[in-house]
Amino acid sequence: MFTLHDLTIKKVHDGLLSKEFSALELAKEFFEYIAYKDKEVGAYLTLDKDGAYVMAEKTDIAIAKGEEIGVLSGVPLAVKDNMLIEGLPATAASKILENYRAAYDATVIEKLKKENAVFLGKTNLDEFAMGSSTENSAFGITKNPHDLKRVPGGSSGGSAAAVAAHMAVAALGSDTGGSIRQPASFCGVVGLKPTYGAVSRYGLIALASSLDQIGPLTKTVEDAAILFNAIRGKDEMDATSVDLNLESGIWNLEKVRKLKIGLPKEYFVAGLDKEVEKAVQNAIDSIKSLKIEFKEISLPHTKYALSCYYIIMPAEASANLARFDGIRYGSRAKKAENLPELYKKTRGEEFGAEARRRIILGTFVLSSGYYDAYYAKAQKVRRLIKNDFDETFKEVDIILTPVAPTPAFKIGEKTEDPLSMYLSDIFTIPVNLAGLPAISIPVKTELPVGFQLIGKPFCEADILSLGQFYEKISI
Amino acid sequence: MSVIDKKTLEHLAELARIELNEGEEEKLLKDLKNILGYFNELKELNTEGVEPLSGGVAEVNVFRDDVPDLPSEASAQAGRASDTGKGKNQFPEVEKGYLKVPPVFE
Repeated sequence: MFTLHDLTIKKVHDGLLSKEFSALELAKEFFEYIAYKDKEVGAYLTLDKDGAYVMAEKTDIAIAKGEEIGVLSGVPLAVKDNMLIEGLPATAASKILENYRAAYDATVIEKLKKENAVFLGKTNLDEFAMGSSTENSAFGITKNPHDLKRVPGGSSGGSAAAVAAHMAVAALGSDTGGSIRQPASFCGVVGLKPTYGAVSRYGLIALASSLDQIGPLTKTVEDAAILFNAIRGKDEMDATSVDLNLESGIWNLEKVRKLKIGLPKEYFVAGLDKEVEKAVQNAIDSIKSLKIEFKEISLPHTKYALSCYYIIMPAEASANLARFDGIRYGSRAKKAENLPELYKKTRGEEFGAEARRRIILGTFVLSSGYYDAYYAKAQKVRRLIKNDFDETFKEVDIILTPVAPTPAFKIGEKTEDPLSMYLSDIFTIPVNLAGLPAISIPVKTELPVGFQLIGKPFCEADILSLGQFYEKISI
Repeated sequence: MSVIDKKTLEHLAELARIELNEGEEEKLLKDLKNILGYFNELKELNTEGVEPLSGGVAEVNVFRDDVPDLPSEASAQAGRASDTGKGKNQFPEVEKGYLKVPPVFE
């Protein structure tokens, strides 16, 4: 019999074709394992056995009929609970959406349903994707499968933990300031944040619309490429999605050797954890052994990215979360005499502390008298940060950096001080501000640590290709 | 850039339609002061003449014809958001088929 621990998308596909197992058997095996394993990890908020079995049977019928099946057909996936799957809860880990049931499929879900992928369930996150540890969920914390005393990272912590603990073959997450890449690094899995506009955001509960992107969390870079290619593309329901003419192929070694890699000095500074420094240096040495050229570069405005982000993101969040008013859907406060009171009580009672903090902060930076000093200033700084990348990409093709300044931290370590929590995203935030694609790839260490490859806009193929060659030599 | 005080915080909570309880105001104020203090580093950066960036990569406007997206049979089947029936099902309070909210006018 097969073991769940070895399964990748590719291996599931091969196993189905060789009739080693059926898609239904596989789905059942996963649910059995989740029932045991998730008691200690807490990755899932909802399981959907019925839906999963229906989807699995479609694959088995197709195989029995001798029809050709796609590479994602019958593959068990997990989905972050801020994406809509029709008929299932979509809570965004917030009390305000506790009883909400999705009325339609997100575009990424619609695309994966066409591939006959199997959705096992919805995974935990920081409320509305606001956080870096999955401790801000209204429905309990998720633990890091590699060390249960530590956080899995966030905000896609449930998805990262589910893949790391072999409770799903792969998963979808969303990344606004590092929410795919940082948990991928903490949990020892691969996480890809695509270029802004590469994947439709329709059906993703919005945090900050100019920064959010959906992307895959997987066990291998090859799997990340498979899942990314399945969900990308222009969608009429998301005006910011882009008609891609990008190459989806993977380069051969000869072409990968022509890629120039930049190491930005601003990312290798004092304060970087020793384990992280060592792991990233290992990755650099491995890639150098492929005879690829490295160059030291500078991204001078890096130090301002965190301030810039924590002005722009809450500003957009305060506008996006205005829709949760207790009127049309979600929870509604009981004892309200009039409309203004209904709004205030609903939002006061149902939003968690971090959501309230960011809404207030966002309201402040947008408010009359402060707009120019904060929001307008941050938008100009955002331009300078993007210009840094534009200039650098004239000299190099890929930028290599750490993903997070530390490995996974302890549960409760940073919950009292929001600023210290925000600082765990300093290496991932600039990528969202500039709209670039970036991938977190694990280095083999005891407590997982990842390194980050940042690519030019819509050049996912560059970082995925280099990532795959790195993977081959590092195993 | 200025320091945020209790009065400003209460005004912001009013604008954001969030009821704060007495106990959390103090902690929130402390957190916000810390965060806004961190933002002070932006003051040292000269941004004169810099074009603001609101986001995106392509930076082109997207136009479409201004036509209503009414629920066609096909979109209803596909479960698109324009299917008002499904949206209505999410309404928190319904009475005799009417959607219910507290009084708007005093």
